Amino acid sequence: MKMSFSTKAFAMLLSAGLVAGCSSTGENMEEGAYGSDVAAIDQDGGSTVYGGADGSGVSASELTDDERRAAQEQAEQEALRDITTFYFDFDTSEIKPDARDVLVAHARYLADNPRQQVRLEGHADERGTKEYNLALGERRANAVQRFLIVNGASRGQIETVSYGEEKPAVRGSTESAWAQNRRVELVFQ
Amino acid sequence: MKGHKRDIVSTGKAPLKSPVAVSVGLHLLVFGIALAGWSWNTPPEPEPKSISARLISPEPRPTPVVEERDQADKEQERKQAQAREREEAERQRQAEEKARQEAERKAQEEARKREEERRRQEAQARELAEKQAREREAARQKAEAEAKERERQKAEEERKRQEEAKRRAEEEKHRQEEQRKKEEAERQRREEEARKEAERKRLEAERRLREQQLEALADQARQEREAEARRQQEAAAARAREAQMLSESEKYQALIRERLSQAWYPPSSATENMTARLQITLLPTGELASVKLVSSSGNTAFDNSALSAVRSLNRYPIPDNRDTFERYFRQFTIEFNPQRLR
Amino acid sequence: MFMKSRSRCSGSFLKTPVIACLVLFLTASLGARAELLIRITEGAGSAIPIAVVPFAESGSMPAGDKVGSIVQADLTMSGEFRPLEPSKMLSLPSERSEVYFRDWRMLGQRYVLVGQLTRNGDRIQARYELFDVNQEKRILGETAAVPASNLRSLGHHISDRVYEAITGAPGVFSTKLAYITVSGEGEQTRYRLQVSDVDGKRSKVRLESREPILSPAWSPDGKKLAYVSFETGKPVIFVHELATGERQKVADFPGLNSAPAWSADGRSLLMTLSRDGNAEIYRMDLASRNLTRLTDHWAIDTEAAWDHADRGIYFTSDRSGGPQIYHMERPGAEPRRITFGSRYNARPRPSPTGDYVYYVHQRDSTFHIARTNLETGEETVITRTGSDESPSVAPNGRLLIYATRQNGEGVLTVVSADGGAAYSLPASEGEVREPAWGPVTR
Repeated sequence: MKMSFSTKAFAMLLSAGLVAGCSSTGENMEEGAYGSDVAAIDQDGGSTVYGGADGSGVSASELTDDERRAAQEQAEQEALRDITTFYFDFDTSEIKPDARDVLVAHARYLADNPRQQVRLEGHADERGTKEYNLALGERRANAVQRFLIVNGASRGQIETVSYGEEKPAVRGSTESAWAQNRRVELVFQ
Repeated sequence: MKGHKRDIVSTGKAPLKSPVAVSVGLHLLVFGIALAGWSWNTPPEPEPKSISARLISPEPRPTPVVEERDQADKEQERKQAQAREREEAERQRQAEEKARQEAERKAQEEARKREEERRRQEAQARELAEKQAREREAARQKAEAEAKERERQKAEEERKRQEEAKRRAEEEKHRQEEQRKKEEAERQRREEEARKEAERKRLEAERRLREQQLEALADQARQEREAEARRQQEAAAARAREAQMLSESEKYQALIRERLSQAWYPPSSATENMTARLQITLLPTGELASVKLVSSSGNTAFDNSALSAVRSLNRYPIPDNRDTFERYFRQFTIEFNPQRLR
Repeated sequence: MFMKSRSRCSGSFLKTPVIACLVLFLTASLGARAELLIRITEGAGSAIPIAVVPFAESGSMPAGDKVGSIVQADLTMSGEFRPLEPSKMLSLPSERSEVYFRDWRMLGQRYVLVGQLTRNGDRIQARYELFDVNQEKRILGETAAVPASNLRSLGHHISDRVYEAITGAPGVFSTKLAYITVSGEGEQTRYRLQVSDVDGKRSKVRLESREPILSPAWSPDGKKLAYVSFETGKPVIFVHELATGERQKVADFPGLNSAPAWSADGRSLLMTLSRDGNAEIYRMDLASRNLTRLTDHWAIDTEAAWDHADRGIYFTSDRSGGPQIYHMERPGAEPRRITFGSRYNARPRPSPTGDYVYYVHQRDSTFHIARTNLETGEETVITRTGSDESPSVAPNGRLLIYATRQNGEGVLTVVSADGGAAYSLPASEGEVREPAWGPVTR
């Protein structure tokens, strides 16, 4: 599940880039920009967007280009923010490049919603010692926290906790399980 | 240049003894001057300074002679002409003198020849008288000499006869002397031979004695050698037995070691510093007669583990050879000291 | 594994024995009656054969394991003994007069333990004797009494006495283990802090939580446990009095509160806190709760343990890039790196004698328990299992317990400290992890 999220996020980014470059070419590009893979997410995310505060009076014909672009961007950001788990390599706490845009989206969201609280839960895979992994999970959570603050979130909104290897997302002793367990989860409260 | 100068100088030194020589000398002089002048007039070669220096410095002979001559060229010719005139006048004067001297010599020669004839006739008369006197004197002297000769011969014969007699007597005496010497030599020879024979016999006796002694010594040495060889043989055999005992001892040491190692359970509290020494006494059957802790490790469990190990063997592996057993295994010490802990 | 025995004349060891050999030869050939010396430097290398004869009983005994079986199991677990199966015994003596040494010797036994149990009201009294078969000598003869409900304690006590009489080192069979079990999945997941005998029997749950419990650590008197509990949603250090069940939250600072370790006097705890930004090691005085920071490095510093002298600490730090073991000779001293053998060495636990430090060691993409000889620096991997974690050294330094995985489940394994014998504790329900070997208490 989570892996596919990141794939989708990447596709979303691609589409955003395409839209930015071809904003004046018309609506057909927008249709084309969403791949079939992304469609489900779009609908999913869209339901939130259109069910929200801006739901009333939304009419495509009344939108200016700017408005339409803003709405579209917002939708994309919303979609990005569906990704709340970020993965790490063994014994590292470096944020992977493909996670940056998503984290930026989260940071903006937090900046836009100062009352929103988020809890960063750091985890490690089962390999190595429990106490070292506890510290490693914390270091991963701290890395994400710093990134969010740098990108607009405030420290007061963020709480970090490390579970080390105690709460694996996936049970098992396989490379795949380990890869999915080395993570930081964002839990909005 | 140098050679020319020398030639000129030497020519100049030659004495002018004859006109031909003078002429030749003059001619050479003229030629030399001409050559020197030509050489002089030739511009000097631009020789390297070093060479000039070398040429000048070792040449002590000065050149002014040549220069003088060159400068007095015409004067010389004039003087030569005058000299030739003087020489001609001298020759005529000498010829006239010679003729006059010849006439005087002829007149003196004739007077001398007459005087000599007169003197020759006087001398002939004197010589005749003197010759007769000398002949008389000679005859008298001859008679006297003959008489003396006869007497002398007579005396001579007598002397010879006496000498002969004396010589014979001496010869006889000499012969007798020889005979005596000969006899003496013979006697001495015989004595010498006797002496030598005695000496030889003595030496022979001595030699025999010596040889007998040497033989005795050699015999003794041989006997000693043989004895030594026997001793060595015996020693080697002993050593071999010893070695066999040792190697057998070693073999059984190893066996005992192995059995004890397998039987020893060092306690977990054992350290490499712990050493327990046990004195073992065995029966000739290999059974343990007694064991005594002679040196404790300081750890009861460790000491016990060693004692237990030693007592755990029902029968110790021991050599069949009784000597070896007695020597090494009747009583020995076992040291327990863990080198590698579990 | 064990080399053949060497003696002074083996010649294969060092130069000195060779010289000694020559001397021996010389003195022998000189005709002197030099006494032979045979030197034994290696032992059998196997466990000691011992016969634990089932104890004679008079009066009603509680159900369950017999004392003899408990002793047998204990001695087996130690890895140093090889008890004879009772079915192979030729006789079952219960006192000296019944012991025929020749029989036991024939059976290859070194020691024989005999005893009698007598019911005396609520209590059970034991009289037991230990004999050295070869020396035909009694090396132990005692009596002990326990409440009837405490027969296992009696067994462990006798095991300790036998172990000490034979090996010279104190037994650890009466000590306790603390460990964490995990059972259930998802919402049903339960974390339990348990305490049991060293053989895994008589386990009791001391704390149960839906949230993780970590890092149990015994106080030196064996009366308290410190541990990390996530029950408040984050790691917090508690000190738990076992007798009363009373719990104290001793460290609940922002960030991490983890890896508690007691000082030998029981008055302070080492712990890892990230209150100042990242994981650093602190010492907390338990009476005053005053903190002293011991490390100061941007890297992770955690998993501290006092060294055997109780002066300096061993800890894990990734200051060199990956986790490695460091020793800080005294607080404030520059830490010295101990491990170099692989890129992952963590959670040091020094031996009680200070000879070795044990730790988790990654090799060939899996994790083992290894030890480094602190004198020579030599590193030895002592476990043959994989995914090994949480080494804990027995108080006598002879044994080590650690967590490993068997068929995907976490189990506990006891191994002799040099990696010799291994003995897996009986599996309990669910996963077992993080064993902590309790102290010897008298």
